[in-house]
Amino acid sequence: MAEEIHAEMVANVLQVVVAEGDEVRRDDTLVLLESMKMEIPVITEVGGVVAKVAVQPGQVVQRGDLIAVVE
Amino acid sequence: MTAVVTRPDPKDTAGEPDPRDPEVRLAQLLDVDSMAPLRPKDASGVYAVRGRINGAKAVAYCTDATKMGGAMGSEGCRHIVEAIDTAVKERVPVIGLWHSGGARLAEGVEALDAVGSVFAAMVRASGKVPQISVVLGPAAGGAAYGPALTDIVIMAPTGRVFVTGPDVVRSVTGEQIDMEGLGGPDAHARKSGVVHVTADDEADAYARARRITSLFSLPGVFDLHRVRNDNADLKAMLPASARRAYDVRPLVRRILDHDETSSSFEELQPRWAPNIVVGLGRLAGRTVGVIANNPLRMGGCLDSASAEKASRFVRMCDSFGVPLLVLVDVPGYLPGVGQEWDGVVRRGAKLLHAFAEAIVPRVTLVTRKAYGGAYIAMNARCLGATSVFAWPDAEVAVMGARAAVGILHRKKLAAAPEEEREALHNQLAEEHERIAGGVNRALAIGVVDEVIEPTQTRYRLAESLAAAPAGRGAHGNIPL
Repeated sequence: MAEEIHAEMVANVLQVVVAEGDEVRRDDTLVLLESMKMEIPVITEVGGVVAKVAVQPGQVVQRGDLIAVVE
Repeated sequence: MTAVVTRPDPKDTAGEPDPRDPEVRLAQLLDVDSMAPLRPKDASGVYAVRGRINGAKAVAYCTDATKMGGAMGSEGCRHIVEAIDTAVKERVPVIGLWHSGGARLAEGVEALDAVGSVFAAMVRASGKVPQISVVLGPAAGGAAYGPALTDIVIMAPTGRVFVTGPDVVRSVTGEQIDMEGLGGPDAHARKSGVVHVTADDEADAYARARRITSLFSLPGVFDLHRVRNDNADLKAMLPASARRAYDVRPLVRRILDHDETSSSFEELQPRWAPNIVVGLGRLAGRTVGVIANNPLRMGGCLDSASAEKASRFVRMCDSFGVPLLVLVDVPGYLPGVGQEWDGVVRRGAKLLHAFAEAIVPRVTLVTRKAYGGAYIAMNARCLGATSVFAWPDAEVAVMGARAAVGILHRKKLAAAPEEEREALHNQLAEEHERIAGGVNRALAIGVVDEVIEPTQTRYRLAESLAAAPAGRGAHGNIPL
């Protein structure tokens, strides 16, 4: 089953921590965002393999934008 | 009709009782051999009993899923109303076990009227005695609003809550979804916020209901000896950089009573509006409610959903006399068109109202920062906090120093040559920090009472809550 992870808020993409094909566990950080002058990790609520990373560093994401897909 | 049905269900002939039998279910909720029926078992579809949970008295009722899928008729609804009214009269918690398709169709408008009378009883009891719902199967229509009117909703994996089922949804809106997708634990724990606790299985649902009920019915007293010698440096649980996010829940579990493997903390609505953490636990033996910003999610900012989540929790605790502990690390309210149109002003106002109205002892600890309107909303002195403490190096301000001088000295910064601008910005921020930053100004004007040593955190929080006069808000707990 594929789990889509979306941005919870408007933010700058600071760092992409995982690459497509990486294995991740629940609560792992996928991407680091910056918003409200805070570094905010985007974490996965499911374990699996990163099927897609939809953002790049420097990009601005809006609430609801797709960040990554974990299968 | 009060005909007593003694004939066993055909399925029972093998000797194995139906696991959906209300007596079987209630026996798992209540202490062994403590169950005493309010009325003899009948065909009404509801069974209501007195019993005990960890020795403390409680009333409980269960819809009978073995009869017409637990549908609620007028007789069954009368039993529920009687159970709730009995709990109020005897001042004990009331727990409902739900597995019901809603109102009995065959009874028509009579059943609707009866279901409505259950709602009215729940509202009469609201804020007077804790009402806890455990959803074990489908709880549709009227059976959905029953749990929703109570203080805490616990859902087993097989629980389903919806106003109208997948068939009606499909025929009216064309949306294709199954019962679990529409109203299962995941939907209500993450998307709607209807469910406070999702259980691992039915047995876990009873265990959670028992623990939460006991936090209300056996509140205990503050025993300061229990926390006097705990000198762990809790600030070490925060990251070194002020910009780094962290999960606040290990800190909450550590501040509350705990042992090596577990904590007394029972988190409510953990996956909905997760940027704020709310839950019940014990501090120095006494039941308290905790509200904490969680920087791990959305930087810990307040937004419309998290403000609403916290306000309902504050009002619930106030109505049952549960003292509050507020852990603040908040960068502000989330800005944006979406938030404004989502009613962040209206829903944020609920949190201001809830705290300002609360008469239970309520102590605030600023661990890192409290900025702007969110500073006020997180139980500031001006809203009537019992005490406001801060850890060393905490910052209480309208906004961070860099952002503040960016506005205050906009012209000066713009006039500076570009290569010097960054250095000037840093210098101005440092000066601002020295004069208006940190916690000194807040201490000087008395909106922060004291900077406390992180090693003394548990003791000082418990001491302050224990010293305040106990009180209890005289209001219901509307499901905000």
